[in-house]
Amino acid sequence: MKLLTHNMLTSKCMKAVTVGYPLAINASDVRVSEVDFNPDFIAKIIPKVDWAVLWNAAESIGQLEGLPKEIVENYENDQDFLKKAHHVLLEVDVINGELICPETGRKFPINNGIPNLLLNEDEV
Amino acid sequence: MDSNNFIKKATKKLRRHQHVLTKETGVTCSAAPTTNLGICNTGAVNGLTEETIIENFHHFGPLERILLIPGKSCAFVSYKNQTSAIKAFESANATLKIAQGGKPVYLTYVEALPEATHDKIYDRLPPGLTIIEDFISEQEEHVLISLCNFSQISGMKHRQVRHFGYEFRYDINNVDKDKPLPEKIPNECNSLLERLPISFHPDQLTVNHYNPGQGIPPHIDTHSAFEDPILSLSLNSAVVMEFKNKETVCVLLPRRSLLIMSGESRYAWTHGIIPRKYDFCYSGEGCNAFERGIRVSFTFRKVRQGECDCTFHRFCDSRQKNKIGADLAHKLENQHVHDVYEDIAGHFSETRHKPWPNVLNFVNNLAVGSVLVDVGCGNGKYFGYKKEIIELGTDRSFKLNDVCKERGFEVFTGNCLSLPLKDEIADAVISIAVIHHLSTEERRLKAVSEIARVLRLGGEGLICVWAKQQVKNHEKSTYIKQDRKNRRNDEIRVLEGVNLPVHTNRTDFNHSDVLVPWKLKNQEVTFLRFYHVFEEGELDQLCEKVGGLSLVKSYYDQGNYCVQFKKI
Repeated sequence: MKLLTHNMLTSKCMKAVTVGYPLAINASDVRVSEVDFNPDFIAKIIPKVDWAVLWNAAESIGQLEGLPKEIVENYENDQDFLKKAHHVLLEVDVINGELICPETGRKFPINNGIPNLLLNEDEV
Repeated sequence: MDSNNFIKKATKKLRRHQHVLTKETGVTCSAAPTTNLGICNTGAVNGLTEETIIENFHHFGPLERILLIPGKSCAFVSYKNQTSAIKAFESANATLKIAQGGKPVYLTYVEALPEATHDKIYDRLPPGLTIIEDFISEQEEHVLISLCNFSQISGMKHRQVRHFGYEFRYDINNVDKDKPLPEKIPNECNSLLERLPISFHPDQLTVNHYNPGQGIPPHIDTHSAFEDPILSLSLNSAVVMEFKNKETVCVLLPRRSLLIMSGESRYAWTHGIIPRKYDFCYSGEGCNAFERGIRVSFTFRKVRQGECDCTFHRFCDSRQKNKIGADLAHKLENQHVHDVYEDIAGHFSETRHKPWPNVLNFVNNLAVGSVLVDVGCGNGKYFGYKKEIIELGTDRSFKLNDVCKERGFEVFTGNCLSLPLKDEIADAVISIAVIHHLSTEERRLKAVSEIARVLRLGGEGLICVWAKQQVKNHEKSTYIKQDRKNRRNDEIRVLEGVNLPVHTNRTDFNHSDVLVPWKLKNQEVTFLRFYHVFEEGELDQLCEKVGGLSLVKSYYDQGNYCVQFKKI
C-alpha cells in the first residue's frame, strides 16, 4: 500500500463512524522501491493530496526523509521538493501491518501490500 | 327378520337420522313430499362431493341446488319439480350406496334448505374476464378438433397437450422464446384469429385434450411468458372453470365459447379445472349440472418480449425475481460470487487479459494526473495502459487482488457496496462487469451510488454490465458465437429457498437472474456464478435513480450494456 493510496482510504462506511479519516498506520514491513521520477506528474498529484495526512503517515512509519510539513511555494518548479514528494507518494510501500480506524480502533490488516478493508455485514 | 320388522327398524333409523339432521342444520323434516331432499347420513365430512351427488341425482330431473355444508355429515339436493324429488326419494332412499363405507343413504323431504351461502360465487365474473358464447360454428369446431391427432402426442398425467408456435415448458413455466417451433399456428385458425377482439396476432397455441375426469391445477399463466389477454376456445364439451383470488368464482365455459382473460383475471386470479366427471354451476335457472364430455381447448397467446410491466406485483415473476431479501442476497453473493471467484481466480485471470476497446479508450482519454479508481478491478486488466495517471483498484477477491499486486498495481480489498474511499477523490471510476453480480436492485443502486460518491464534480464514470439480450440487430455477440455444441443444462438449482435457473453457456438468456457455469480446465467441477443480466435501459435507469449523474453516452457493446456518465 502506497501512501498515496492511504491518503484516500477511510473507514467512514462503518456503522457509527462519522469521518473515519485518516486511518492510522501500524507498519511491520515497509519496502522502498525505485519508481521513475516524473516531476510534471507529481506536480499534478500534489493538489489532490491531503498534505498533512501524507506527512503524518510518512512520519509514523519513519519515511519522511526531509519532507517539509507544508507544501512549499512554487512547488511545481521545486525539483527537490517534488523528488521528496515522489518518494513518499510512490516509492514507499507498506507490505505488512495494519490500518486503524481513528474512531473505533477497528484494525484492517495489510498483507502482501494489500490492505483489506472488507467489513462484516454487521459493521455496515 | 320379517318384512314388518324391517320396516319398523328402517322407520326408527330414519327418525333418528331426521332428528340429527334437524339438530345439525335446523331444517324441518316433512312427511309429505317437497322439492327438497336431505341426505341424512353422509356429507362433506364423510367425503361426499358435489360430483357424486350430481352423478346420482341429476338424472331424476333438473336440479335447483346442491348443498354440502363444511364439517357436516349431511347434505341437500333440491329439484325444480316435486315429481323429480319423489322419483329420487323412491329410487335412492335406503338403497343408493354412497354413504361412508359403501353404505346406503337415508333421505328425507325437508321444508326448506338451511340458510347457507355458497362458498363459491356463480353470479359474477372475475374483473377482466369475458365469455363470448357461440364464438365458432359447429363446422369450425369440427375442423379444429380434427387438426390434432391426439393419439400421437405426448400424454400428461392429467391431460394431453400439444403446442404450436412455441413450446410451453412446464419445467420452467415459460416458453423458450429463442426456440420457436417449426409448427406454427395452423392456417385453419386464421379466420377465427381475425375475429378475435384483440389488437395483436397470437403466435402461440396450446391445445389441451381433457377426458371426463381430467382437469388442470389452478395456475396463473407466467406473466413474463405471455402478453395480456389470453384467449381460450372450448370445444366439444362445456366445463366449469374455477377462478380464485380472495374468493372462488365458478365460470361455465360453454361448448364453442371463447374465454378472454385480461387485466386482473389474467394477472392476479388463478384458473383451474377440478378433475371430475360431473360439473355444475348456478344461474338464474337454478343448478346447471351436467356430465362432462371429452373437451378440447385451444388457447391462443402472444409470447411476451421483455419483462412484464403489470401492476399485480405479488403475482408477477418479473417482479419476484428482485425479491431476494437483503440477508439472502448477502449469502447468495458470498456463495455464488465471492467464493467462486476465489476458486476460479487463476483460470479466470489467464482468460481475462484482453481489455475491451471501448473501456480502454475511456482510460486513454483521461488527463495526466487523473485519479482512476477501478471498482472490481479483477487482475488489473485496464491498468498500465495510460501513463501518468494514478490507478487504484479494488476487488472483493483476495486472489485476484494478489494477481493485480504482482503485476505492480495498487489495490485494496473492498466491497463495492461500501467503498472505503473519501468522497470526491476520483477523476474517473470504471466498474466493468461487476454490478451484475449483485443480486438485488437495491444493492446495484448502492454500488452506483458509491461510485457517484467518490467521483469529484465533473468526474466521469463508466459502468458495463452483461446484457440479457445477446443478439442485437441480428448480430450475435461474441459470447453467443463461441457456442461450440448444442449443450443443454437448464435445471433449476435451489439455494436456501431461492430458485435460480442454471444458464446454458453460449445461449441467449431466458431469465434475468441466473447462475452461469464456469468450468475449470481439465476438471469436472463446475462453479456457478450469480448474474443479474440487464434489460435494455435498465442500467441507464439505475444511474438516473442515483441522481447527480448526467448521462454522457449509453451503448450496447458485444452483449454488454455500457453507460458513461458525468457527476454534476
